[in-house]
Amino acid sequence: MKNSIAFKLVGLLFGTGFGFVLAAANLHEYTTIHRMLSLEEFDVFFLMGSAIAVSLPLLWIFEKRRVKTALAGTLSLSRSKPQRHHIVGGALFGIGWAVSGTCPAPALVMLASGAGLAVVTIAGLFIGLGLRDAQTARGNTAGPTQGDGEHRTVVGASR
Amino acid sequence: MFASVLPDRLPWYFAGPALGLLVVGFFLFTNQPLGATGAYIETARTVRRVPGAVVWRAFYFVGIALGGFIAVSLKDVGFDPRAGYDILTSADDIGLSLPVAAIVIFVGAVIMGYGARMAGGCTSGHGICGTAQRSAASWVVTMTFMATAVITTFFINLI
Repeated sequence: MKNSIAFKLVGLLFGTGFGFVLAAANLHEYTTIHRMLSLEEFDVFFLMGSAIAVSLPLLWIFEKRRVKTALAGTLSLSRSKPQRHHIVGGALFGIGWAVSGTCPAPALVMLASGAGLAVVTIAGLFIGLGLRDAQTARGNTAGPTQGDGEHRTVVGASR
Repeated sequence: MFASVLPDRLPWYFAGPALGLLVVGFFLFTNQPLGATGAYIETARTVRRVPGAVVWRAFYFVGIALGGFIAVSLKDVGFDPRAGYDILTSADDIGLSLPVAAIVIFVGAVIMGYGARMAGGCTSGHGICGTAQRSAASWVVTMTFMATAVITTFFINLI
């Protein structure tokens, strides 16, 4: 694809920005997440809330105005109806998140900050994702989910 | 030399809106959500050379760690090689031995990965990008994982 270098560059830059913000706000520390989920400190809830409060109206406006994205055509947001797998998957995710004290992106930042046990977290995440993929591949479930928060196939998108 | 450029913890009212702008910016370039679960999936597919793997998501994956490293390097603490997970291993708190802590974290991470794949996203994907796209499924997933994470943490704190 002719714009594949641009995609890689954008991916690297926004990944770096994302990791930077997570680390700056100490979201890679087990203590931060544990205190949040113990309801002792509400900063992380406010952080997530303010991120949504900024992005939701902007995306709404850009969607309405049919803004062209730089690399992948007209902006197309994705909205699904809640199904059983959303609730079961979300419930399992929350249990695992509370036990391992970090979610997928901060786990990478945790490792980058020098915490060795994050290797165990990242390995476990890869295995958990793979287990679900193996299960869907065997046809025991309703096929792979492409949720509104995962990478999705968009017309004009590059590899 | 660059230590303590950043505060020990950037307040949520800077970090949250910054994250929101990153989400919007990422959409404006790639027409994709800034979700970490998708990055894990595509990084695994890229490494295993699965046809159709979204290689630029692997760049994004590496970027998260890189950005985290840069941010901690700009703080007083700096890059700090350690085990991490202080609350789990400290004798004053839960006081698990290192191997037991590693097993607990691993099991938690597997459950988290499995759940994220089943739900189609994680804290960043559904929790921020999906909710900002006004997806009902994402709001349901987010409420569900917040609830189970808080309940699970309540039980962890009883130990």
